[in-house]
Amino acid sequence: MITSHPSDEALLQMAAGWLAAGPRLVLSTHVSLCARCRTRLRDYETIGGDLLEDADPRILSPDAFAKTLALIDRPIGSEPSLMHGIEPGLPAPLNHYAGSPWRRLNASLSWRRITLPEDPAANVIMLKVAAGRAVPRHAHTGREFTQVISGGFSDAQGHYLPGDCIEADAEIAHQPKADPDGECVVLASVEGRLRLSSWLGRLVQPLIGL
Amino acid sequence: MPPALAQPLPLRDSLPPMPEPVPCPDEMSRCLLAVAHEGDRAAFGELFRHFAPRIAGFLVRGGMSPAEAEEVAQETMATVWHKADRFDPARAGASTWIFTIARNRRIDRARVQTRALCAAQLFDAVEQEPEASGEDLALGNERAARLRSAMASLSPEQETVLRLFYYSDKPQSEIARELDIPLGTVKSRVRLAMARLRAMLEDDQ
Repeated sequence: MITSHPSDEALLQMAAGWLAAGPRLVLSTHVSLCARCRTRLRDYETIGGDLLEDADPRILSPDAFAKTLALIDRPIGSEPSLMHGIEPGLPAPLNHYAGSPWRRLNASLSWRRITLPEDPAANVIMLKVAAGRAVPRHAHTGREFTQVISGGFSDAQGHYLPGDCIEADAEIAHQPKADPDGECVVLASVEGRLRLSSWLGRLVQPLIGL
Repeated sequence: MPPALAQPLPLRDSLPPMPEPVPCPDEMSRCLLAVAHEGDRAAFGELFRHFAPRIAGFLVRGGMSPAEAEEVAQETMATVWHKADRFDPARAGASTWIFTIARNRRIDRARVQTRALCAAQLFDAVEQEPEASGEDLALGNERAARLRSAMASLSPEQETVLRLFYYSDKPQSEIARELDIPLGTVKSRVRLAMARLRAMLEDDQ
């Protein structure tokens, strides 16, 4: 059962279209797995619809309708096909994306970078942490969203299992540790810079490029 | 996919001026379904007349230039025509559905690479449930009504801040400056507004 969700503010930002591509992908992954957040997202979209109804109608140029008809007759830019898929068995939103191969950082940690052509500045990675091992102690300057794909992990704030989404604001330094019963795979997006406060962290940061 | 508009709309490409009775939400849903099933051009005209000016108004309110706002409104309505067969009144009302199309259009225009994924594909990938049933239509309408009550129950200050979250992605600090109130006040108004909405929707988990 999913017990950790993104904040309502984040879901509202997503509904309103103001989340950057990286967080949007991670939250989409969570929402595809979570009925409670799907309902909330829809609620916030409904509010958007009501605000649209209430908006002051602008007087459009006289040929606005004609231009729209011309647009209809032109084919809309074709949508890229669902050809990538990072690996089988991932939640549906991730099927639209490609990732680098898994790269081993050390005995307990592997990572891969997810490519977001719509926003090259996005920082989205998948991390695979061996059972019982810790991710280097790190803090970040922006908001981080972590979605548990498989396995589980704990940090000072709680224990998280598949489906859980953890939203962490800037300035929280944490050291997540994978559960002892198996490896843990997460999807994460980080806004801003990652500050790593251990010697391993300082080694890792230029490699990951976060 | 509705049949292509093989010939231009009757004789003139502009809409004749019409008096503005407020169409009820069901009327707009009816128009969308008519576009989807019959390629009904008159129905599309009604949709355009109602929504295009409001899409543009919404975007301008968020700081977009009037010219660009009109462009996005046109693109949105063109997409409405092409995707009308995906409209499901049991899932969402007409204005909600069109809001999401406008939202996706705005996101897509900001993509660095235009060949990259469309926002619509990502939002569509989120949906898991099978086709909604007639019962869902009633429940959906009821929930939408409760949402409107919930919004109406917010204080003017709370509602103002919430609206600003939709219009643009201004950081809260900038909203605070514009409203000439402390940042903490902005944060607490948002928190209270969202708590109130949750309480009224009675699904606080």
